Amino acid sequence: MRKQSAKYSPFIPVLTIYVLIFLIGKGVSGMWQVMAMLTFYCALGQAFNIFLGMTGYVDFGYVAFMGVGTYGMALTITHLAERGITGPAVIVLGMLLALLFPTLLSMAVGAVALRLRGAYFAIATIGVNEGFRYLIEGAKIWNGSEGIIFMSELNRVLGREAASSLSTFWSDVFLFVIATLAALVTLYFMRTRIGYALTALREDEDAAKVMGINVTKYKIMAFITSACFAGLVGAASWALKTPYVFPPEVFEIHYTIEAIIIVLLGGAGTLLGPVIGGLIYGLSKYYLSIFLPGFQLLIFAPIIIIIIVAFPEGIMGMVKEKAKGSSLARFIV
Amino acid sequence: MVLEQLTGNLLQGLVLGAVYGMATMGLSLIFGVLKVVNVGHGAFIMVGAFVTLWAFTTLGMPPLVAIPLAFLIGMGLGFVFYYSAIKRLIKAPELASLLATFSIGILLEEIVKLIFGSEFRGYNWVVPKIDLGVTVLPMSKLYAFIGSIIIALLLYLWFNKTRAGTAMRSVVEDTEGARVCGVNVGWVYANSFAIGIGLTVASGVLLTMFIPVGINPYMGGGYTLKAFVIAVLGGLSSPYGAFFGGLVFGLIENGSYTLFALIPGVEPFALTRFLSFVMLLIILLIRPTGLLKAK
Amino acid sequence: MKNLYRFAVLFAFLAVLAFTTTSVAVDKIVIGHPACLSGKYAKAGEQAVGGIKACVDWVNNVYGGVSIGGKKVPLVYKYYDCESKKEAVTSLIARLINSDKVQVVFAPYSSGLTLRGAPVAESRKMLYMDHGGANNKIFQQGFKYVVQTIGPATRYHEGTLNMIHKVDPSAKKVALAYEDSEFAKMVMVGAEKRAKELGFDVVFKRTYPKGVTDLTPLLSAMKAARPDFVLGGGHFEDGQLFNRQMADLDINVKALSLIAAATLPAFYKALTTMAEGVMGPSHWEYGVKYCKAEAKRIGMIWVGPSQDEFVRLFKKALGKDIIPDYHAAEAGAQVLAYVLAVEKSNSTNSDKVRKALGELKFMSFYGGWDIDETGLQIGHSMVDVQWQGGKRVIVWPEEAQTGKLYYPMPTFKEKAKGKLAIP
Repeated sequence: MRKQSAKYSPFIPVLTIYVLIFLIGKGVSGMWQVMAMLTFYCALGQAFNIFLGMTGYVDFGYVAFMGVGTYGMALTITHLAERGITGPAVIVLGMLLALLFPTLLSMAVGAVALRLRGAYFAIATIGVNEGFRYLIEGAKIWNGSEGIIFMSELNRVLGREAASSLSTFWSDVFLFVIATLAALVTLYFMRTRIGYALTALREDEDAAKVMGINVTKYKIMAFITSACFAGLVGAASWALKTPYVFPPEVFEIHYTIEAIIIVLLGGAGTLLGPVIGGLIYGLSKYYLSIFLPGFQLLIFAPIIIIIIVAFPEGIMGMVKEKAKGSSLARFIV
Repeated sequence: MVLEQLTGNLLQGLVLGAVYGMATMGLSLIFGVLKVVNVGHGAFIMVGAFVTLWAFTTLGMPPLVAIPLAFLIGMGLGFVFYYSAIKRLIKAPELASLLATFSIGILLEEIVKLIFGSEFRGYNWVVPKIDLGVTVLPMSKLYAFIGSIIIALLLYLWFNKTRAGTAMRSVVEDTEGARVCGVNVGWVYANSFAIGIGLTVASGVLLTMFIPVGINPYMGGGYTLKAFVIAVLGGLSSPYGAFFGGLVFGLIENGSYTLFALIPGVEPFALTRFLSFVMLLIILLIRPTGLLKAK
Repeated sequence: MKNLYRFAVLFAFLAVLAFTTTSVAVDKIVIGHPACLSGKYAKAGEQAVGGIKACVDWVNNVYGGVSIGGKKVPLVYKYYDCESKKEAVTSLIARLINSDKVQVVFAPYSSGLTLRGAPVAESRKMLYMDHGGANNKIFQQGFKYVVQTIGPATRYHEGTLNMIHKVDPSAKKVALAYEDSEFAKMVMVGAEKRAKELGFDVVFKRTYPKGVTDLTPLLSAMKAARPDFVLGGGHFEDGQLFNRQMADLDINVKALSLIAAATLPAFYKALTTMAEGVMGPSHWEYGVKYCKAEAKRIGMIWVGPSQDEFVRLFKKALGKDIIPDYHAAEAGAQVLAYVLAVEKSNSTNSDKVRKALGELKFMSFYGGWDIDETGLQIGHSMVDVQWQGGKRVIVWPEEAQTGKLYYPMPTFKEKAKGKLAIP
């Protein structure tokens, strides 16, 4: 029993950080939205890390999964509201659709793109992201470029009070839950056969294949899992928090880049990495926007370059190296 | 009538495609030699556009003269960024270089914004127009077309007829083998990067000859995505492949508009974009080395 | 035990402090604004901040402050940079409400970002003023605290159609070519409706994606439809591209009106003579004839700086010698509307001020201001501006004209030879 729980002890620092963020958000007045923003970045990083960190593949079209998750929730709310169905069950159903859509999309993408490696994979996934977005706009699917604005439908489904607290509080609580789940799943993957297979293929895919590892199966598992979390993040942080969907916004490549920055800053493939990365990224953005409005990117860009050049393994990667052999090692993964 | 439209669009597409193709040659060169994807590609095109704007409005230089100027500025930038950042990242996981090039792109955008402001600018180079019946072509577009072809030819000559160029080709083929043969790989890396950036910045000049308005610090993004598609079409490692990929891309993007416009109830423009990405995926699946036979 | 004693004293002290601070009267009114100072809306955001600063300056130094509770209190303007991105908007609004204790929040530029901040503002019962979100649907969502100062999207090209209908009844064929984004689509919807009402024949109706780099296929198809005049546009860069490529393809029409881009000074600078005679609808343009005398003539309350005063204060606020455009004017007008409503309700309580805003009807340098019960702006009319000899002239409506309309527009060949659209 002790051995079992020891396997999961790296989860403790992650959970502690999230609980702390939650408490600060609840306790200190005005900090809730800031903490929600930080959790968004941490959740995004954790979800992205499940695929990137474990396999080393860069999915440049990642935001598409967030986008379809958002649409899943938005469509559920608008269609059910039209039919007069109300109540929290609608939100639950929305979450399910927010899981279904990315699963379908990632299976389709995976079938095409996962045969490719490295830069080709990255570019193929951009292709999917942009292609899908233009399909929605061009074929006028789901209202096309006009998007969906559904605050009034949300009010009908839940009632004004509940809808308001959903948009300003509960959707962020969902984010915490999603982030925590993503961390757990990451750890689970790391500690089981999936993790060993993925690490092997990250180091040398051909060698792994030769050793008999079913590389494709594990890649797809990680890919779909990562996509599903993205869908949930989109549903919670975009659909529920901001009751509107405009295609150019939910397919904006900027979010994929942010996910990459967060994971890289923190350390790809580590558990704590995305959390630390998310915190650093979110806090820097926030304080820079307050004290140096208009200059954030000018300052941020060279800092990222310096960090990447100096610490290609990310911050947690470096910490992991330093902590090897010490008593803290089992908490830092 | 449709045929007329189609021909007109195809002609325009060919001309634009040449410019796009030339713009992508730098991307393919850098990837071929250094195996680094320059995600900040569009930002360098933007720099070229601003160089043209500045040269035209402040120095009174016609854009054609700005081309070599832009190329030199580009090479300079290339060397700066290579020695400060890229060099250390060649051995790192490719993700690191992706992020680094992306950040370099952002840095450029912000610096240009600081110097020039975020206003949308343009310039007006007064040249005659040619009426081809099916469409109208200003001479500036024709110059851009010819310019792209000339630069592509020059590059071809350089790669195949000079020692330096051959050295670069050898590194693309087999880095270790080239090293063993005595090629100074580090020097090749630096120069390839610089030339690649130089080409990209110079293409910004040609692009403004095609579209001389809407110049602003954030204009690069759309071009980066197009460049990726074109680069893959032509084979990621081959600069000439990129050129032909550009031509194909231009033809298909413009030509398909007329065809999509025949379908009721859809927005043809967005669908042409969709088509280009479908093309991308198909190529990647069937022939990842690109449309041209692998050299 | 000693520590406990110390703690109790501290606690009592803080409690007393808390109670006393809450009963202090209002001594300043704080406006909060998560502005777009970088990112894609940087230009509009900078203008808006300048306009707000200009009017705050006027209120404090010329008007004497806001009359509330028998005193005159100053306005304070607190703003941060949301980078034109969703994520920062909610956290910055929360900070403004909680740490900076603002009494009103001005929304960030663009319909999307306005919508993003609305739920947070509504949940805190905070007045939320919209100067940059023209999408009508914002006001169909049931928000209680959102008030619009910018005119709704559907009305942008209505005036243009009215004008052409009056000036040239023989021009029947119109082409609609807009950017495929929620704002421009709304304009198109309104334009199409009005065109049909007036008996125009829509011969071409297409959209193009945001961020387009080459409009040739669309424009070639439009040329084939032989429209008499063209309405279209989206945001900034596509407007310039549109005009330029129409010139490149030698497409000549009697009138061309583009939204957003065409009325900005950068437009003519980039296009020079190609822009002669090109028009655009605008919420405000330097040169409009709204002034105190005009307000008196039609019996409306007048408030705020005169147009020239506004321009002067704007330049002072930004420290640059640039003329304000409509982004600045609509943001500045918002300040005036707020001040009037606070004075009318003698309170900064959001419910009371919102009610006062609903009853308010006034004119300022920006034009008329009046909202309906959903918060939608109905009192403000757009003007149509035309480039004549490199200068912007207001040509419609007739009561706001600063010059006559030049119609039909010269051909691009004529313009290249130097023909100017001066009547």
